[in-house]
Amino acid sequence: MDTGSTHILIYVINIFFIVYTLTVVGSYVILGALSLFETITYLRKNSYVDYKQILSSTVAPSISIIAPAYNESLNIVDNVRSLLSNYYANYDVTIINDGSTDNSLEKLIEAYDLECIDYLINEQIKTQALRAGVFKSTNPAFKKLTVIDKENGGKADALNVGLNISKSDYVVCIDVDCLLLEDALQKMIKPFLETTKIKVIAAGGVVRIANSCVVKNGRLLAVNFPKKLIEKTQVLEYIRAFLLSRMAWSRLNGLLIISGAFGLFDRKITIEIGGYDTSTIGEDLEIIVRMRMHMEEQNIKYKMAYIPDPLCWTEAPDNYKTFISQRNRWTRGTIETLQKHRKIGLNYKYRLLGLLSYPYWFLYERIGPVIETIGIVYLTTLVMYQKLRWDYAFVLFILAYLFTVLFSLVAILTEEHTFHQYKDKGIGYKMILTVLLEPFTLHPLILYAAIRGNWDYLFNKNKRWGTMIRKGFQKSKVNNKKIL
Amino acid sequence: MSKYQCFIEYFEQFPLVIQLLWVISGFFMITVLVLISYLKMLRSYLRKEEEKTTKYEKEYELSLLTYLFSVNEVDEVSPEQQLIIDQLKTCSIDKLKRKILVSLLVKLKKDISGEMSESIKRLYSQTGLIGYGIAQLKSNQWHVVVKGIRELSQFHSIEVYNEIFNIRNHSNREIRKEVQLYLVSLFNFKGLVFLDDLKTPLSEWDQIQLLDELHRGETQETPNIIPWLRSENKSVVFFALKLAKTYNQFDVKNTLIDLLLHKNKEVRIQVILTLGHLNIVASKEVLKRNFNQSSQEEQVVFFKIFENLYDNNDESFLLEHIRHKNFDIKLKALSMLKKFSIDTFKNIEVLPTDIAYAKIFKFVENN
Repeated sequence: MDTGSTHILIYVINIFFIVYTLTVVGSYVILGALSLFETITYLRKNSYVDYKQILSSTVAPSISIIAPAYNESLNIVDNVRSLLSNYYANYDVTIINDGSTDNSLEKLIEAYDLECIDYLINEQIKTQALRAGVFKSTNPAFKKLTVIDKENGGKADALNVGLNISKSDYVVCIDVDCLLLEDALQKMIKPFLETTKIKVIAAGGVVRIANSCVVKNGRLLAVNFPKKLIEKTQVLEYIRAFLLSRMAWSRLNGLLIISGAFGLFDRKITIEIGGYDTSTIGEDLEIIVRMRMHMEEQNIKYKMAYIPDPLCWTEAPDNYKTFISQRNRWTRGTIETLQKHRKIGLNYKYRLLGLLSYPYWFLYERIGPVIETIGIVYLTTLVMYQKLRWDYAFVLFILAYLFTVLFSLVAILTEEHTFHQYKDKGIGYKMILTVLLEPFTLHPLILYAAIRGNWDYLFNKNKRWGTMIRKGFQKSKVNNKKIL
Repeated sequence: MSKYQCFIEYFEQFPLVIQLLWVISGFFMITVLVLISYLKMLRSYLRKEEEKTTKYEKEYELSLLTYLFSVNEVDEVSPEQQLIIDQLKTCSIDKLKRKILVSLLVKLKKDISGEMSESIKRLYSQTGLIGYGIAQLKSNQWHVVVKGIRELSQFHSIEVYNEIFNIRNHSNREIRKEVQLYLVSLFNFKGLVFLDDLKTPLSEWDQIQLLDELHRGETQETPNIIPWLRSENKSVVFFALKLAKTYNQFDVKNTLIDLLLHKNKEVRIQVILTLGHLNIVASKEVLKRNFNQSSQEEQVVFFKIFENLYDNNDESFLLEHIRHKNFDIKLKALSMLKKFSIDTFKNIEVLPTDIAYAKIFKFVENN
């Protein structure tokens, strides 16, 4: 290739990267602004709400908490206790032991005085068969609890069993290791009850990281900022994603995902669409896309609600291997879902879903890491061939870094202004340090995991779930901490 | 040449685009530094506010308890009480202190009743807090108005009745809702008068709150809900049905039976549930007659309440539906048949090839 052609090629590639980057930055700015607006509206609207009113109400709708568990024996007893200690009156808890090979079931039987009962399940969604059966407690204190022991079929299959067995109007699909705050259900159900003109079909809640937090008897007693860098950066990442991104999508009514760790669904609609897809690894994303498609196809006005309160706390990976495995799975889930429902992309029949949500996810979540990797390869090639304009490269690098830092700082400030969860003196500095380090520590890992995810999706189809090794929550004594 | 000039000259050698990018970087850098400083200040401020709140809470709690227990039989306001009133009046000028004081008063008012509760109400007026509450009604921000109404409602401030009643049809939904709650908290069932000409929908959340407010009221004499059951506003009908259920309004049974023909399916479903709750046997024949024309949801709901209305003449109806396509109806019909007519149940023929049906039958047989 002659010099002229090379210059033109480099020019075109440069323009492509600049335009792509500008759209990413632009979308972040817009999403950030929308999030702030939505958060302010939410806080104003809920600052005077007395959630206790719904507790004693005889007309409060019924809610089933469905929590699949696979080899969770380390925390399962405490986790179930956390789920059982909600203040909401009209709810029950269903634990689906999804073919665990450890002693989870035995631990539950012992801790909650369970006995096997004869139970007829209306199999509206096809699932794996039961193993030991359905268990209820002989102790009236745990009458809300049902445990189902079934053959292993994956998280989606376990959730489908829960959907089949539930008789409630609404279902909360939650990871069993998540700690729910006592008023979580009241806050989550509110959007379903306060709309009159459109139907709320699902609500997502913020998931916060519980590593280093103090937990006793399944209750979160004190919030601590984690010690390990990988955990700290994930705290920052979660705050940014939940407070600055999903809030904005909620404002636009374009939410495409409700975290699999914690979401509330209209049971009837969830069953109508056939429940969770057991063939995908990203069942939480896939079900939301399908629910939205269903509503669009039925031409029913609907909404996906989103609650920014920190209601659900979960353990995040505390080592690089588990983290990469988790993100690899998330990437494959995204690719699978977008691929499966590609017909909605830019399809005006699906309105906002087809014209905005899907293209956004495709451009920035699906191919974003690929473009970034190509960018790195391109940069390396330019360096090798001494074609890199260092003056441009250096200032663009500084600019990108500062923008990332700025965006993270806005996320932290939003958190401080709203929920102010990390109260201890000194955490502010730790947060700032995390903000400054995150682009060099967590981001490369996310990128690596995403590329691995793409690779595994294309060339390693048999790869399914990784394992998350639970450490268990910190159960140490609470020293001079304000109890939540 | 100074270092500064050297830097300027070096900078000017760059192309314009790079210069611009550096300027933006500089702006970002300054913004980052400002935000970091602001974050530090904000965290210190929040910590101090929390400390102050805890301190004032303790202080005012003590004052309030002293106020409540300083009643003497001679004076309407004892000297000790007057001292506390004056002290709290001064405190209430400060926004934070006022907020703490009001929240403590609300908390106390919820926890106590009788004469002491009246004292709290009086104190709310005597300390001038009511004036701040009323001032909130004039705000341009809807959430401030809502907070004002909520506060005045919690202290049953009838003085502002006209002002609040006049905004009952406010364009903001939250304000409307708060006015409705104010009316009910003050006048109990009589406060529901707004339902007569309500054009806007009452959400489920609003209805739950209204019911809760009614529960807390002292009057249990329910008004005539028939006009609301016949309302054109669907949400008013839903609310009236809840009232009928909660307060066991047997007198409205004829209206309820008429409502079985309501054009809205959701209303019809709620009517069936209400009829079941009230055990209105007279509705059974109508429901049975309409059964085949009803939606499947209505049919399921009917079978839910059928057990309480059942008599021996219903056996043939049950037999008609033991093979209904709906799982719940099939299960309920078989369970009822086993319960009320075991001989007929034993004679049901189940083909071994129909595995799903055999499974249900076996379950009913064993339980």
